[in-house]
Amino acid sequence: MTGGVKSGRGGLFAANERRARIRLTVLAGILLGASVAAATVFNGSIIAALASLGGISLGYLLGRKDGPMPATIRSRMFRVADDLAQYRAFTRLLRDQGARITKTTGDAAMALVAGIGEIDASVDRLRALAERIASRDAEELGPLADALGASVVEMLGQLQFQDVTQQQIDFLARLSLIVDQHMIELAGQLGDRRSADRIGDFKDMFNKALDDCVMTSQREDHHVALGLDLHESNGLKVELF
Amino acid sequence: MPSTIFLVDDSATILMSMEAILRKAGFIVAKAASGEDAVATLQGGLKPNLMITDIHMPGMNGIDLIRKVRIMPGCQFVPILVVTTESQQAKRDEARAAKATGWLVKPVQPDDLLKVVKQILPNG
Repeated sequence: MTGGVKSGRGGLFAANERRARIRLTVLAGILLGASVAAATVFNGSIIAALASLGGISLGYLLGRKDGPMPATIRSRMFRVADDLAQYRAFTRLLRDQGARITKTTGDAAMALVAGIGEIDASVDRLRALAERIASRDAEELGPLADALGASVVEMLGQLQFQDVTQQQIDFLARLSLIVDQHMIELAGQLGDRRSADRIGDFKDMFNKALDDCVMTSQREDHHVALGLDLHESNGLKVELF
Repeated sequence: MPSTIFLVDDSATILMSMEAILRKAGFIVAKAASGEDAVATLQGGLKPNLMITDIHMPGMNGIDLIRKVRIMPGCQFVPILVVTTESQQAKRDEARAAKATGWLVKPVQPDDLLKVVKQILPNG
């Protein structure tokens, strides 16, 4: 997709050097053409003068097309390259934060599972104890223990949120890597207008991200971001083949 | 004798929470954190009554694991449930073609999980 892309800064400096040489050559051409034109006018040869003026115009046009880059444009290009590098640092920060969130929720979820397991074991011991005690109060403990046990199972089920959110954060990280790749390619193109057509189309890359979605909700969000009114069926939550 | 359920998932949270739910329902639970670990455990002699696997795992994914298990001696007919966040129909069809037994989308309610498990293992 991006064959032949020059490395960011190296390509930019090399291209500027090349343009500077072309600028000097074109300037020299213009001055030479002007001198020849002046000389021929003085000699009375109007046709030769016009031809020389044509050369001057051609030199000027060439200078505009391939000539040196003005300092203001060059500094803007450096600024854009710097900003692209900053954007990559920014997306890196987002990914690192995502990884931290995932780790924090993962650790917390594991601690909760362990804690809930201990509560459950205590409830079981309580139930066993209540069964051994022959009193009216003890009879009430049975249903209470059952209710606690049901809550324990419910809470354990809810802890799946950690895995689901981890996958969503991982997906965001993969999306940001796509943006990063594109910024690297753009930075590489700043000094080389002729190969601009080799930059991958970001729209295509964005569309490819759709293939990376694993959840219906992700695909829905993708479609909304594209302005498409597409809705996918969630399918059955539980399906036996 | 309680049935043995073999859980395969790269998420430690999922392994721990599903293990707790299934143990509480009276099942024996074995676990593996990857497709490769699962294959090694089965080759080591584990004979589960039911396998439950995730799809998206680093290394060997769930579909490849099912294909591998289906050609392992003694494992051809082990029921395999897929529990995953993946909801795409194409992936379901892929799992069905690999001879998975069923598909559950995370997050799965414990009641739904136990209902399906008891449907597959009526004798517990």
